Amino acid sequence: MIRTVGILLLFLAPVALVFAQGKKEAKESKIFPYQVNQVTLDNGLKIVSIPFDSPGIVAYWTVVRTGSRNEVEPGKSGFAHFFEHMMFRGTEKYPKDAYNEVLKQMGADNNAFTSDDVTAYHTLASADALETIMEIESDRFMNLKYSEEDFKTEASAILGEYNKNYSSPFMTIFEKMRDAAYEEHTYKHTTMGFLKDILDMPNQYEYSLQFFDRWYRPENCVLVVVGDFDQKKLVALATKYYGNWKRGSYTLDVPLDPPQKEEKLVPLPWKAQTLPILAIAYHGPAFSDSEIDMPAVDLFSQVVFSETSELYNKLVVEEQLVEFVQGGQGDSRDPGLFTIFTRVKNPDNIDKVRDAIYVAIENAKTKPVSADNLAAIKSHMKYQYAMGLDAPESVARGISHYIMLTGNPESVNRVYALYDKVTPEDIVMVAEKYFAKENRTVVLLTYQEGKQ
Amino acid sequence: MRTLTLILAISVCAMALTIKLHAIEKGGLKFTEIQSTTSPLVTFRVILRAGSINDPAGKEGLNALTAYTIAQGGTKDLTYQQLVEKLYPWAAGINVQVDQEITTFIAEIHRDHLDAFYKLFSDLLLSPRFDPADFQRMKDVGLNYIKNTLRSTDDENLGKEALSAFMFPDHPYGKLEAGTVKGLEVITLDDVKDYYKKTYTQGNLWIGIAGGYPKSLVERMKKDFGKLPTGKFEPVKLPTPVPVKDVEAIIVEKPTRAYAISMGYPIPLTRKDKDFYALLVANSYLGEHRTFNGVLMNRLRGDRGLNYGDYSYIEKFVGGVTSGSRFPDLNTPLRQQCFTIWLRPVQSENAHFAIRNAMFELKNLVRDGLTKEDFEATRKFVIYYSKLWASTLSRRLGYQMDSEFYGTEYFIGRIEKELKKLTVNDVNAAVKKYLHDSDIKVAVVVDEGKGQEFLNALTTNQKSPIKYASPPSESILNQDKEIEVFPLNVNAEGSKVVNAKDLFER
Repeated sequence: MIRTVGILLLFLAPVALVFAQGKKEAKESKIFPYQVNQVTLDNGLKIVSIPFDSPGIVAYWTVVRTGSRNEVEPGKSGFAHFFEHMMFRGTEKYPKDAYNEVLKQMGADNNAFTSDDVTAYHTLASADALETIMEIESDRFMNLKYSEEDFKTEASAILGEYNKNYSSPFMTIFEKMRDAAYEEHTYKHTTMGFLKDILDMPNQYEYSLQFFDRWYRPENCVLVVVGDFDQKKLVALATKYYGNWKRGSYTLDVPLDPPQKEEKLVPLPWKAQTLPILAIAYHGPAFSDSEIDMPAVDLFSQVVFSETSELYNKLVVEEQLVEFVQGGQGDSRDPGLFTIFTRVKNPDNIDKVRDAIYVAIENAKTKPVSADNLAAIKSHMKYQYAMGLDAPESVARGISHYIMLTGNPESVNRVYALYDKVTPEDIVMVAEKYFAKENRTVVLLTYQEGKQ
Repeated sequence: MRTLTLILAISVCAMALTIKLHAIEKGGLKFTEIQSTTSPLVTFRVILRAGSINDPAGKEGLNALTAYTIAQGGTKDLTYQQLVEKLYPWAAGINVQVDQEITTFIAEIHRDHLDAFYKLFSDLLLSPRFDPADFQRMKDVGLNYIKNTLRSTDDENLGKEALSAFMFPDHPYGKLEAGTVKGLEVITLDDVKDYYKKTYTQGNLWIGIAGGYPKSLVERMKKDFGKLPTGKFEPVKLPTPVPVKDVEAIIVEKPTRAYAISMGYPIPLTRKDKDFYALLVANSYLGEHRTFNGVLMNRLRGDRGLNYGDYSYIEKFVGGVTSGSRFPDLNTPLRQQCFTIWLRPVQSENAHFAIRNAMFELKNLVRDGLTKEDFEATRKFVIYYSKLWASTLSRRLGYQMDSEFYGTEYFIGRIEKELKKLTVNDVNAAVKKYLHDSDIKVAVVVDEGKGQEFLNALTTNQKSPIKYASPPSESILNQDKEIEVFPLNVNAEGSKVVNAKDLFER
């Protein structure tokens, strides 16, 4: 059930703890308050390590800067995510069951995820286990070996993952929205991939070997270690276990889309009963820690769509036409989509709701945000990020996000410094630049019995 | 591999916490404190000792709707929107979690803003606005959740909730926390105000606070919350769950491409019982949530690729599907628990086989128990792993309060203490005593129009060979031959096919 209902999302953790541990950095107005060590081995593998006051605990992440963005070949959508699953199928030294047994002995929490731009493998365990973790992780990154039979079995589990997500209409909306909005770029497909490609995965064993050979290379990966560790020992262990990992040579050419020329409309019938869901996507900027566009778009999303916005107040609170309305853009290496979602309570009001959203966007182009509102938004965003850094795993997650985007943890400080500089005029500028009719794709999901 | 020492401290433990359990105040208020001298955060968990089991007949959803109208509403002085504007620059939040036995208001704030925040938070609970517009907005949320989300676009939770109702017939645990469609429809704002007046008393409120707050805050809270009506907490009397006889199935029809499966039965154990800890080890071995340790996960997903995941539980499992959390949820304690198995959606043609496969593994566990090696490895795992569960102050506080609910010492500490004393014989004796592979309820969400056919296949023990994209090894194929005819013996009389649209109506 909806067990939790909240006034605002719960993004809470210790800001002052953060500031207390990083006084020097705080004076320099850096959002990321902890000491960040960086070492690069001869083979190009970067190790980012962050001491954190969590006695006895260490978070160990391997960030592979490969995601569904890398799936440039036709018929291979979803492969980065599939490969994430294959990474748990073992090596000669540690076959699948042996690998799991080692993790079990540590009492470790161990998992992985894939998105457009990254595949991240994460372990949370006792600090005593660091060497063991490095041994088994380096082994699978360098010596992964699985049978064709295992490969095919795991392909079925991927279909199972697709199936588990399927009952939610949001997965299909994302599929249709991206497919319509992009022409060439690999963001055209979701990380899960097209169903036809998932169904063909059992036949792609040979390609999987090629995929590993291309991307699971030291120069494409970053180790992130947060918590209780000794820096000298960490570097020595990294050299010992990862030093023989050979560099790769594959280069990627992801085709960029030409500017969209006209509005795209995608009707989406849904055969299970649901309220109408309206999804509107605009092509936005790529992440950058030096250009103002993406930070200004983030602030624009707060001005127009946060719980304090005029639009939210009108549609959710006063007129109660929708259950929720939200809009924003996640960071991505290449230009991503700014997406707006709303669930309309009465199908008769779809046009009214859509028009109210467009009016709110147009207003942002002509009415600069007030100084007070801008200050509140900047405060909100800083607290939201910094308060989330309350445990080793959340710190590792918080910094890995920026490593995924640029390969450089310092990007977090640079981009928050940019947030500080965003002016009302910058927000007007991005509203005009990105939020035009011809740049948008509109998906409307409605309940139509028997159709899908 | 090297020997590892036990994890004795995690980040919040490093904060020098002072745990203070209060005697119940004169007016009935109860406090739990975890004070830290170093944390800049203050976290609140205010528990109302009432949940969906307190809903009056015909007004199912009253407890939830009251809590939502409070948490998503305003105060006497501020409208909802004015309140949101105050909280926004601090990135502060006030959430409410509604469960069957308790309702928890959860909030967290940086101590720089503590004074101003506490005023708003306490006003929200002590002087709620009960604006008709806020009430209507939350009523819509509740109704839409049942009609348009649970029944139609969230198959895994639908399967779990259908099982819950099927496992606990004529029992308050058989009702949704959100209520029913008919119940929510008839509830008025006056009902909500009346429920608040009767239920939000000192006797029913239990205030948890943790972090870097000044001592004076607790005194202030005693004074402020002491203005609520006095009273003594009176728990709702629960009937003993009807024992499950036979294997019975509820087949829920709705449009879907894959079948979500849940099964289980009530068990007479909670965290307060010694045997719970023996069963905790056995359950971890069978199906630890979101790990590759469990037998179910390895046999169904690992060997056969049947689906995304397969787990088992000895406490009612909530969350996880949408929250994505790999650790247990907090503040969802129950006086009566259940054993359940959750199979994530399976391709329709393999659903019957998957149920058989799970029952086959359960039968093996009940018959053979754990080996000494499996026991040792699993015990060690649970001791380490459970120490990762309370890594933040808010979670630490939540576990503390749950432990008090069950009348036991701090749960995570008790896990280590009890597990260290266990033997493999204790665990296997608990398996024999509390688990069985017969007398179990099964819920399956199937595609529209396919329910009766699926139920017939179950009740007639129809052979159900698994269909592979590509066949696995010979040894697995040989075992498949045994599983595909494994007798489930589903009792047709006690089983039924229902349409999702008809569930949770009244």
